[in-house]
Amino acid sequence: MAKWRQQVTKWLVEKLDLPADAMMDLPRITMIGQLHIYIENHRGVMAFSREELKLRLKQGHLVIKGQDFVIKTILPEEILLEGTIEGVYYDKST
Amino acid sequence: MKKDWLEPINSYVKIELRGDDIEGFINECLARGIAIWNIERTVEGSVSACLYTKNMKEVRPLMKQTRCKFRLLEKNGLPFWAVRMWKRNGLLLGLAGFFVVLFLLSNMVWNINVTGANPKTEYQLLKAAKELGIKKGKFIFLLPNVRQLQQQLTNAMDNVTWIGVSLNGTTYNFQVVEKEIPKRKETSSPKHLVAKKDAVIYDMFVEKGQPVVSPHQFVYKGSLLVSGYIGKEGKTKLVPAKGVVWGETWYTTSVTVPLKTEFQTFTGNMVTQHKINLFGLKIPIWGWKDEEYKTQEVSKNETPLKFWKWTLPISYIKKEIRETDGVHRVYTSSQAIQAGKAMARKEVRKLLSHDAKIKGEKILRQSVSNGKVNLSMHYQVIENIASEQPILIQQGD
Repeated sequence: MAKWRQQVTKWLVEKLDLPADAMMDLPRITMIGQLHIYIENHRGVMAFSREELKLRLKQGHLVIKGQDFVIKTILPEEILLEGTIEGVYYDKST
Repeated sequence: MKKDWLEPINSYVKIELRGDDIEGFINECLARGIAIWNIERTVEGSVSACLYTKNMKEVRPLMKQTRCKFRLLEKNGLPFWAVRMWKRNGLLLGLAGFFVVLFLLSNMVWNINVTGANPKTEYQLLKAAKELGIKKGKFIFLLPNVRQLQQQLTNAMDNVTWIGVSLNGTTYNFQVVEKEIPKRKETSSPKHLVAKKDAVIYDMFVEKGQPVVSPHQFVYKGSLLVSGYIGKEGKTKLVPAKGVVWGETWYTTSVTVPLKTEFQTFTGNMVTQHKINLFGLKIPIWGWKDEEYKTQEVSKNETPLKFWKWTLPISYIKKEIRETDGVHRVYTSSQAIQAGKAMARKEVRKLLSHDAKIKGEKILRQSVSNGKVNLSMHYQVIENIASEQPILIQQGD
């Protein structure tokens, strides 16, 4: 059922040109160089250290790697991270 | 991204969190809408974060739930800052003291300039000003205002025609116009003495010249009294005639004396009020007794206060309320005539030079009408009627 619904949404996004982040609850990530990363539509913090931030998404996780991480602001659906960002990875496992 | 701009105003704390499930705690905070920011993992593995002080009570059960412990690191924000500042009240006191001193110094007399006066007059003026209280270091708002000063100083100085007083910041400027008393020129050019007005010659004393009139003789205005030609006929010489000719002259004056007069006199009872005018709001600082006399005279003196070079919307008001007393004076007609005579005499004296004498006085006419006594007085006066008239020597004579 869920799979079918996802298919439908994907089709809608493609055919009707709707914004994917809103329709499919995908994260919207904005980066300013290596300094800032701003992530919308997250579902909470799973792990946080100076070198790594692991965020829960609707599907899977988002892992951000780097150095000297500081969470400047955190709101229920947004997070602003500061530091030296080296990589952003998706982890499909739930 | 939302940022709480009230962050520096609301007090917030920086805490250190220890525990296994700090991420859980952060998620719990997010779920409850508790603001948390500047989350940072320290080297030892604990986490430092900032929270509003007002949220601390809410946060405690969450900490228990996620088995976290916290320690306060910093207290920030205006309320904490104010408390810290208060602990350093010496600094605060110094700052306030500085402003008070600057304010006081802005309202002091710092300089007195005198222009247009010679050293003697300047010294006299400064002395007179000192008596009125204008000295270096005096508070300007305690001094009378510029217009009053100008009037009082001009009255106090008799060798000065006019004194302009202006207050420029903390400097008083006095602009002086000195009286120029012209020196009598002792001319040696030949001249006659002629009569100033119609008179009967009373007595004469001639130093130089040929008298042409004798006592008890009537002269018209402009008639020759003492001639500048002396010597026998044919051998005449021209001299500047000099002498005093006393003549009897006549003056009439009329005065009106009301039988009933009302005077205003001060009883000596007075109330002084000191007020501060703050943006039009008058705040009394001394003299709350708002005594209302039946008859009174109020004098008000308002001085704006200054700070550095700006005039503040604050001014100092000194209000003096003096009780006056209405005095009724009722004359009988004979008293009124007596008073009228004295008044008329005074009036005549004003017209005469100081060496003139009043020989006799007579009432020409007197009448009482509408509660007033009208007097017409006639005076016989002995005065010097000689005036100099230069003799013009025609060329080619």
